[in-house]
Amino acid sequence: MAPMWRRLLALLMVLGLVAAACGSDSDGGEVSGGYKIGLVTDTGKVDDKSFNQSAWEGAQAGAGNVLGATASYIETEESKDYANNIQLFVDDGAKIIVTVGFGLGEATIEAAQANPDVMFIGVDQWQNDALPNLAGLMFPEAKAGFMAGALAGMLTETNIVGAVLGTDLVPPVVFFKEGWENGARYTNPNVETISTYHPGGLDVAFGDPEWGATTARQALDQGADIIFGAGGATGNGALIEVAGEAGALCVGVDSDQWFTVPEAHPCLVTSAMKLIDVGVAELIAQANAGTMEGGNYFGEVGLAPHHDFDSMVTSEMRDMLAEVMAGLDDGSINPMP
Amino acid sequence: MGEVMKPQQRQLLYAGLAVMLVLIWIFYSANGPQTTAVLAGTVRAATLLALGAMCGMIGERSGVVNIGIEGQFLLSAFAAFTIASMTGSLFMGTIAGIGMGLMMGWLLAAMAVGLKVDQIIAGTVLNIAALGLTSFFYDRSRSLGMGKYTNIDLGPLADIPLVGTVFFSRPPLTYLTMALLVVVHIALFRSVWGMRTRAIGEHPGAADTVGIDVLKLRYLNVTLAGGLAGLGGSYLALEAVGTFSRAMSGGRGFLALAVMIFGRRTPFGAYAAALFFGFTTALQNQFQLNNTFDIPPQFVGMLPFVVTIVVVALSGLVGSMRDPAALGQNYEKG
Repeated sequence: MAPMWRRLLALLMVLGLVAAACGSDSDGGEVSGGYKIGLVTDTGKVDDKSFNQSAWEGAQAGAGNVLGATASYIETEESKDYANNIQLFVDDGAKIIVTVGFGLGEATIEAAQANPDVMFIGVDQWQNDALPNLAGLMFPEAKAGFMAGALAGMLTETNIVGAVLGTDLVPPVVFFKEGWENGARYTNPNVETISTYHPGGLDVAFGDPEWGATTARQALDQGADIIFGAGGATGNGALIEVAGEAGALCVGVDSDQWFTVPEAHPCLVTSAMKLIDVGVAELIAQANAGTMEGGNYFGEVGLAPHHDFDSMVTSEMRDMLAEVMAGLDDGSINPMP
Repeated sequence: MGEVMKPQQRQLLYAGLAVMLVLIWIFYSANGPQTTAVLAGTVRAATLLALGAMCGMIGERSGVVNIGIEGQFLLSAFAAFTIASMTGSLFMGTIAGIGMGLMMGWLLAAMAVGLKVDQIIAGTVLNIAALGLTSFFYDRSRSLGMGKYTNIDLGPLADIPLVGTVFFSRPPLTYLTMALLVVVHIALFRSVWGMRTRAIGEHPGAADTVGIDVLKLRYLNVTLAGGLAGLGGSYLALEAVGTFSRAMSGGRGFLALAVMIFGRRTPFGAYAAALFFGFTTALQNQFQLNNTFDIPPQFVGMLPFVVTIVVVALSGLVGSMRDPAALGQNYEKG
């Protein structure tokens, strides 16, 4: 090889590595001076079209409501980096730090104890002992799952409903699943529920769309005609697979996935939503105003609009859903008995 | 060389096949839809592994270890998805994926063969670069408006119960992969190119003395093999999933290497091994869907790996597995 070529090749490789370095820890906003809001993702990505993205949108909205505030994020590559990534924001002088996901719970508590001047918001992190500067943003996922399941129970023609899920290592995923199955049985006693968790660990369970798609197909092949995809990119893989099956329906999770997974339009009848963005933005506003209380803060859940399937959901079904919603709210229906 | 089986091994293989067919028949009569679903899932999960294994095998038969298959999958999937969503054509996307695979193969060859970089390091560079580049350039607003590749029924063949659904009602890249298995088998073991390829992997010095340009052929082979991994990337983004997401290859490039070794660096062997891996994955999903065992899914998820260890150990007892003699060694013309 000519020396020229060698140099070019070496340059290319260096560029590749630089891009690799940039890619792993990209920064969402300005880094210099001012009121800083930091967000640390779980091992999913900030553009996962699911819960990390919702939280990031909430952080941006929250920052938008605070004069002169800027929001930035760090994506966690491996679970061992949780504490380091939080510390990066502490060292950078962030006023509010949002950590996204059950997995960061312990690291967030430790950071909150060590840095009493910084306000922490932990999405999906249950607080056993309230710390004054740490609010756990929790959602009654079982309720959202129950609502979606109730709709699925009414819509299924084969009486088989499937769920392709992230991992049972994460309690909110389990709540979604249990709620979904109980909801389906509530409106349709004859329904058979078939559900699968990703068999891998936290590092891969939410980032494996190939497994999600293959598993969704397996459920479709044995008669499921409506499938709940709950688990980041893994669940999205399931939704897109169902979209390719004529007549089958799918249900998204966390946010209204009509907007985040356009490939799922042919099947997406609704999404079991956790209004993470609203909750994060609200807590940021409270933290900024000094009114944020430590402990657990419960956000809202609900069903997303039916979009293209609006006419498929009959008025009887809507009445039933309203009844279920009321029952869940007043406690007469327990989504996870 | 691995491609010739001893009669004893052949008998064992046939016996195994017969037992398997009987088992499938029993399960099919007991529960048709579930058996079909599991076997269809098996074939589906095997396609990507088979492509990766073929990529690895052509490299290793020529004496070059390729642990960069994971990165080749990922960057090719990215290229395939991006071009497909830009042009609106799955075909163009597939071509782009293969092209990116060829380029990655060329890059590996340039490092491992041209610059004589340690082959393991060269492969690692591909993996790291692919993860970084795709994370950096991924544009989440892109999507495949036209959907992914859909199944093509092969006429009356698709109507055969079980077999029809499992093998003859598949999307196009899966058929292409099955055809490539035959092509690569013939090329490796029945062509001049294949003989030379195996020669430079076993004894490059001897190959050189009879006039084979060792470095040139390794260059060519590693580049071409990259095209197979590129097809794998296209398959992943455009046929298996229908979108791109970061790190979506999920370790399957490494699993493909295990499949390659397990399949004794032969295309059919690798496909059998890939089917086996696919089967264990589909089976553990089915266990969960049926609530067969009330134990953590991670435990059932170990199944593919536990069975692999057992089978590799057993196959080690039945017959020895040997690497190409010059594997991993850079060749200096003496």
